[in-house]
Amino acid sequence: MKRSQTPEPLFRKVLVANRGEVAVRVMRTLHAMNIRSVAICHRLERNAVHARFADEAFEIRGNTPVAAHLDADQSIALARDCGADAIHPGYGFLSENAAFARKVTAAGLTFIGPDADTIDLMGDKISARNFAVRHKVPVAPSVQAQDDMASFVEAASAIGFPLLIKAAAGGGGKGMSIARDASELRERARIASSEAQRYFGDGRIYAETYVEQPRHIEVQVLGDGKGGAIHLFERECSIQRRFQKIIEEAPSAPLPETTRAAICDAAVRLAAAARYKNAGTVEFILGSDGRFFFLEMNTRLQVEHPVTEMICGIDLVRVQIEIAAGCGLPLSQAEVRAGGHAIECRISAEDPDAGFLPATGSIRLLRAPAGEHIRFENALDEGQRVTADFDPMLAKLAVWGKDRAEATDRMVVALKQLTILGLRTNIDYLIRILESMAFREGALHTGFVTEHAETLAPASVDEPLRDRILIAAALGQRAFRDAISAVGEPYASMAGWRN
Amino acid sequence: MPLHLTLNGQRHSIEIVRRTPHLVLNVDGRVHEISEWSAEQVGRMVNQNEAVVVSRALVDDGGRETCFVRIDGRTHEVVLIDPREDSAGHDSTRDEIHAPMPGAIISVHKQAGDEVSRGETIITIESMKLQTALAAPRDGRLLDVLKVAGETFDKDALLARLEPADEA
Repeated sequence: MKRSQTPEPLFRKVLVANRGEVAVRVMRTLHAMNIRSVAICHRLERNAVHARFADEAFEIRGNTPVAAHLDADQSIALARDCGADAIHPGYGFLSENAAFARKVTAAGLTFIGPDADTIDLMGDKISARNFAVRHKVPVAPSVQAQDDMASFVEAASAIGFPLLIKAAAGGGGKGMSIARDASELRERARIASSEAQRYFGDGRIYAETYVEQPRHIEVQVLGDGKGGAIHLFERECSIQRRFQKIIEEAPSAPLPETTRAAICDAAVRLAAAARYKNAGTVEFILGSDGRFFFLEMNTRLQVEHPVTEMICGIDLVRVQIEIAAGCGLPLSQAEVRAGGHAIECRISAEDPDAGFLPATGSIRLLRAPAGEHIRFENALDEGQRVTADFDPMLAKLAVWGKDRAEATDRMVVALKQLTILGLRTNIDYLIRILESMAFREGALHTGFVTEHAETLAPASVDEPLRDRILIAAALGQRAFRDAISAVGEPYASMAGWRN
Repeated sequence: MPLHLTLNGQRHSIEIVRRTPHLVLNVDGRVHEISEWSAEQVGRMVNQNEAVVVSRALVDDGGRETCFVRIDGRTHEVVLIDPREDSAGHDSTRDEIHAPMPGAIISVHKQAGDEVSRGETIITIESMKLQTALAAPRDGRLLDVLKVAGETFDKDALLARLEPADEA
């Protein structure tokens, strides 16, 4: 009997210039493709899950773990030294850093992502916007801030309030705020500019029409770098807090078919015009009147990519690697099929009942949900410390169902199974969102959590439950258990317990 | 001597009534028979013939014990009160601004001696790349601000104090 031959892997070894759940996610596909994986880790994360999961792990230096992960030269030097032939940047950190992409290529390595010039084009919101306008992708009316604040306020006011102030080099909600009149605009623009300067080293800001009750709809695109581009349908990411997504789904909650087609077409037009190479996401804001505006293009894998993978049955990291290796697109638009509905929740260390303030602490107990059509993307360990060094996102939970109702039900069950104890998390809050009538009905918009703040507050605890909680807590304490097992008068009250 | 606990800001007490044949506890005057329980972090508890699966984790944060209890897909935080600290009477929280998180001071908006009104921002801090405004807990006059811009601090650090409110 003749043995089938394993095809030659597309790369020998890939360094993943990231950490945490996304590093593990990328490595899983590398391993499936018979490619060796290399992790980088700061000495404070030497025992981290992503470092243990990789075939090889190397230490990177820096005053803080974040500084080390942002040091482009170190990871490139390590990649060369260990014989890697490509670098996958994951998301965050260096993933949208054009200088990094350029250096990777200059070092003779393959950057698993778009060309540096495309990152430059899309990374600057103003040039991205101008590019979109040239290619007939609708954008919201906007004004760029000039040195002269008075003329900026005047020009912006002429568009009409409310206005959304954004950083030109921004992302992740940093430097973003809403102004409802000229005095708010003056005040907020000043703060936004200083925040933008601090986070991105670029204080340029602009103001654009703020669409009331907007939905955030984004399209997953794939481009071959030669002008060929397709879409893998849209995702809805309207459930946000502090301008950051917390629940994403694919396809979107109810959306007219013509609107869906128009948005997906616009995204493909943009990707094709940019001769985009890689998986990417084109983000739009959709008004209740059906008008939609281009927001930005993310030239990388997206945090919420699993929901698209689950409805399309496509491994997006594999596609990224194939495109980077020059294999072109794995399928044509006509071959793209989507089925069912997928939802993702971002699990964060934060206190939703206190303004979503980030929480720190240690994970003392971790129980992951399991079952069919459930993905728990994480790099968590019991005993792991959650510090202020990184983003508060701990993990992602994604589920698939045959329709939106089934996916929602399955997510609620999975979230109830998911147990992360030892610090505050948003798990229970996510359950409350999913169980709300407004979410079930698909009445989504980016102000959802503010509008429904009252409904989303924790339910009160009735007396039987309260007693049960108190008893469980008491029995969790060693001193109390010792008092129970102490030999003594059976009817005696507990005597002098001590720690 | 009962064990004191707080849940959602309310104080409760638990006392052991009987150990055999079943554990019987008195919770705020209500008697509960616990016919089955486990010392494990995740285990079944049968209380008044009703079984629930309980997950819990105890966190000792510098002498203050907090028990995270998860029952039926919902997590609750219970603070176990050390009897030695139990006598602490006067509530200073309305006079002091403590750091909710470890982080750094971005800017100080008010100085010692300034009159402030409730909700007015006194200090802007940054933690985990997010800026948070710390506001005055009540109307009053600032006694002092203990940090300057750029300084870092740990969770719960005292950052500013108000002059004690008039007893009038």
